[in-house]
Amino acid sequence: MINAIPLEYYLGLASIIFLIGTVGVLVRRNAIIVFMSIELMLNSVNLTFVGFSTYLGDTAGQVFVFFVMAVAAAEAAIGLAIVLALFRNKQTIYVDEVNVLKW
Amino acid sequence: MFSVEANFLDQLKDSIGLFLPETVLIATFLLSLILDLIFRKSRTLTGIVTAIGFVVAGICLIGQTGETAFIFSRMLVVDPFALFFKFVILLSGLIVVLMSFFSKELYETTEGVGEYFTLITGMTIGMFLLASASNLIMIYLAIETMSISSYILAGYTKEIRRASEASLKYVIFGAVSSGIMIYGMSILFGLTGTLNLFDINTFLLSNEVNMVPLMLSGLMILAGFAYKISAVPFHFWTPDVYEGAPVTISALLSVASKAAGFAVLIRFLKSAFIDPTLSSDVAWNTISSIDWQYIIAILAVVTMTVGNLVAVWQTNVKRLLAYSSIAHAGYLLMGVVVMNEIGIAAILLYFFAYMIMNLGAFYVVMLIANKTGSEELDDYQGLGHSAPVLGVCMTIFLISLTGLPPTFGFIGKLYIFSAVLDSGLIWLAVVGVLNSVVSLYYYAKVFRNMYFRGMDPPKEPMTFSYGSMILLFLLAIPTVLFGVYFTPILAWAKSSVEIFFG
Amino acid sequence: MFEIFGVGPLTLITFLPMLGIILILLIPAGKDEQSKKASTNIYRWATVFFTFLQLVIAVVIYINFDLSLTGVNDINGMQFVEKVRWIEVEGLPMLGDLRIDYFVGIDGISAPMILLTAIICFVATFASWSIGKAVKGYFIMYLLLDLGMMGVFVSLDFFLFYLFWELMLLPMYFLIGIWGGPRKEYAAIKFFIYTLFGSLFMLLVMIALYFAVGSFNMLDMMDPSKYDPGSLLSGIGTTWRYIAFGALFIGFAIKVPTVPFHTWLPDAHVEAPTAISVILAGVLLKMGTYGMLRISWPMFPDAVYYFQWYIALIGVVSIIYGAFCALGQHKVGKRDFKKLIAYSSVSHMGFVMLGMAAMNTEGMVGAIFQMFNHGTITAMLFMIVGVVYDRTHLRGLDDFGGLANKMPIYTGVMMIAFFAAIGLPGLSGFISEVLIFLGAFQTFPVMTAISAFAIVIGAAYMLWALQKIFFGKLPDRWKGPWDPTGTKYKHDDLNGIELTALVPLAVIVIYLGINPNPITGMMTSSVNHLIELVKAGGQVAAGM
Repeated sequence: MINAIPLEYYLGLASIIFLIGTVGVLVRRNAIIVFMSIELMLNSVNLTFVGFSTYLGDTAGQVFVFFVMAVAAAEAAIGLAIVLALFRNKQTIYVDEVNVLKW
Repeated sequence: MFSVEANFLDQLKDSIGLFLPETVLIATFLLSLILDLIFRKSRTLTGIVTAIGFVVAGICLIGQTGETAFIFSRMLVVDPFALFFKFVILLSGLIVVLMSFFSKELYETTEGVGEYFTLITGMTIGMFLLASASNLIMIYLAIETMSISSYILAGYTKEIRRASEASLKYVIFGAVSSGIMIYGMSILFGLTGTLNLFDINTFLLSNEVNMVPLMLSGLMILAGFAYKISAVPFHFWTPDVYEGAPVTISALLSVASKAAGFAVLIRFLKSAFIDPTLSSDVAWNTISSIDWQYIIAILAVVTMTVGNLVAVWQTNVKRLLAYSSIAHAGYLLMGVVVMNEIGIAAILLYFFAYMIMNLGAFYVVMLIANKTGSEELDDYQGLGHSAPVLGVCMTIFLISLTGLPPTFGFIGKLYIFSAVLDSGLIWLAVVGVLNSVVSLYYYAKVFRNMYFRGMDPPKEPMTFSYGSMILLFLLAIPTVLFGVYFTPILAWAKSSVEIFFG
Repeated sequence: MFEIFGVGPLTLITFLPMLGIILILLIPAGKDEQSKKASTNIYRWATVFFTFLQLVIAVVIYINFDLSLTGVNDINGMQFVEKVRWIEVEGLPMLGDLRIDYFVGIDGISAPMILLTAIICFVATFASWSIGKAVKGYFIMYLLLDLGMMGVFVSLDFFLFYLFWELMLLPMYFLIGIWGGPRKEYAAIKFFIYTLFGSLFMLLVMIALYFAVGSFNMLDMMDPSKYDPGSLLSGIGTTWRYIAFGALFIGFAIKVPTVPFHTWLPDAHVEAPTAISVILAGVLLKMGTYGMLRISWPMFPDAVYYFQWYIALIGVVSIIYGAFCALGQHKVGKRDFKKLIAYSSVSHMGFVMLGMAAMNTEGMVGAIFQMFNHGTITAMLFMIVGVVYDRTHLRGLDDFGGLANKMPIYTGVMMIAFFAAIGLPGLSGFISEVLIFLGAFQTFPVMTAISAFAIVIGAAYMLWALQKIFFGKLPDRWKGPWDPTGTKYKHDDLNGIELTALVPLAVIVIYLGINPNPITGMMTSSVNHLIELVKAGGQVAAGM
């Protein structure tokens, strides 16, 4: 039962997942894992939305979640396609080896 | 919030009527997609269809002059403020489409350019929605519509390695920043229980909310917008993407995408966080005790200073223009800092000027790259003599970007500085002035190389097609003309903010 | 007031160069040697024609100029006024109704400058004869510069003034950068950045004044009753007014240039081609001091009084420092003749500052007259350097000697310029310096006494240069004719073009030395009015 678990727990879990995702993006060098970390971030957002939505009794948050899921899928597809194009050019998917352009 | 009202169908009918420009763009999108499948061999057909579609959408936009309405259950706002930005977006989209016809890079390194034009239309649709979004869901969807198209466009010339690299950086940074933004949105939703900007405002006016999460969510949402307008410290993608992407796309990102970002930034701050009941003379009657003005001011100062100082060391013209566009985001943010009518009017005016001069500068870079295959500053030596018309036009554009009279850029700067001085932020104006001086140094490097160096032996004269020259003049002449006679643009910018604030 | 095709003389004199630019643009440069040579001649003579027309109009203006009218802040005292609404947008948020006028007119302060600009631009065209590279571009830039300078002196609307002020920067940058000497890039960007730095602060003050007055009309800005009491710059003797005055002062002082903003000047002069040095020294430097008289003094009389002593001090430091630097050119560095003249300019413009700070009729008239005289004399000096530089591509003080025997006419003309620069009685420079001393001594006796010392140093460096270059033994390498083939210079001495440029200036310098009235008479009533205005404003401030 959702009412049995306080809202804070959802928010706490979501923020931890969000942090894990952020740290993953920053420290991992494999482009695939970077994309997975981004998915983690988006999912923590979903969790927050659902948590609030239930707490407030407003479905708008859950509607948002559907959109986030759809967009995340599209974004991942684009991201992977770009990784593929890069791999063809450069034979690597490690972001730190991608350095024709200086940072 | 989706409650069915008695006259829901009537409202829907009205909404569809006011959604006409976007509908035209969507039709253009689909039509160009289908035509590209049928006439695979033709390399310009989709481009022509896109250009026509943009013109038709522009005519529909003119029909909306003076309209103010909420449409689709208050998901979108149609008002003169959005209209102005839509015009800027559409015009820059149209100019970029026309520029693309002359791009050698695009036609020689890719197999088909059909999708290219289709994606530009897709991006434009996203930016249109963003300019008039008044709901957090709509903002997110519009940003993603525009971003996903631009991720692909940035790497469109995928055989060139730096292009796919640019694309990868763009998509990673983009996804992270939109992740941060929607996390902020989720917190804001939790605090206020609504996704509509105006309802958020009403809620904040009547209820006490905890300041820390509110500030946190506001900052996170701002991060997402700052990424779109490439404000420091969310600018890291800008130089890489601009350098790697086709010139035409760099031009589009630097103007249209920035315009959409500013439109939503201003609307978000204004609609959600500023007390509408107080007079617009006092700019920042923020509902909460958070000093947003101060935060934006810091953002503006850091953005323009970093953009200008780093640009000084650049050796690649596209990269130089990328840092210059970061610096210009800083100047524009000064207008946001002011946030009253004169500030917003100054932003609108500046944006129109920025559109013409920046697209012009990118266009010259493209024409030169067509002939020499290089965008390096050193390869610009002697171009003032082998391509005198290009040299003169480039000088005009760069002078305008510096903000020297008698160019349009000067009028833009004049208004931004007027707005800042009027609000009493003299220190900010002084910082802006010092930045302009720094910017002269690197802009001058470009025309210095064109004219002062590589004169002997003279290079072979370059020839350009008449079409490409006409487009160049269409950008260069307004840059000077509006510099000495700017009444119409100013009047337009003025009327666009009046109703926004009325 | 006379008109031609409904256009007033000031508009005509300002925008005539535009016609020249269009004409030059329309004539193709030509492909082969023959047509290139022909087109080059057309460009030169077109420029001569248009600058001559300007001179004619300037003379007509001079003849029709009413000496009794005052001007400065009095619209009825302005002459040849043209006022047309240019930009009008009503009901702007916060700004109210934005109105910018095309508003031109002259009084006794600007009229001598118009005359000076017309003369200098005309003679400098002849100094441009040796330009061989990209002649078309050169004369287009030259005429654009001419347009900008004229515009600055005729504008009575601050916005218009600023537009012309900035319009000059770009042509000047290209003129130094493309046709300049070895370090042209450095000199050009240094000039550009320095001046832009100053003028952007001017822009901020202009906006602040606009907010206070509600229009860009300079005459309104001089009227304290027009100031909105709630604005930043309203009131008298407030901190913001002092800051605004300081910002304006920096903007103008960079252009003058006074110590410590002068470092761009020697570089720009050394690298610029002869004609551009002539214009730079002859007209551009005067814009700084003109701007002070037109804008800073009447708009901020309280601040002028407050800073009077410091302005005089800056003048005296410039006088002494410039003189010592010029003297130093004999001993250190490349011993460049042009650099010597550049530093002497800093010194002479310091006298103008001192005269302006004195705040009495003698000092102020002397200052404006000194502006005019320095314009003509220094233009001559730079042309004189240009003459030998064209022949030998050298201009070191130690590279020559004994030229008096080789080039007698040249030496004669040059003596006039040298002695005028020193301030020898009977030549124009003497009168203006004496007037400045007379005026400044009443207000700042000690500083004036110190600055008089610079006259001695001035005589030292000028006479030393004279001796080194023109007297003594002719070095062996210059024994033969300058141009053995005779294609460029038929004989060693001045040719017709050079004489056309130098003789009119020499005549002016001598004539004004005997009878300064033609110029001083023009400005007296305006200057008196300006002093009254400033005094009135300053006394209110002092009484508070």
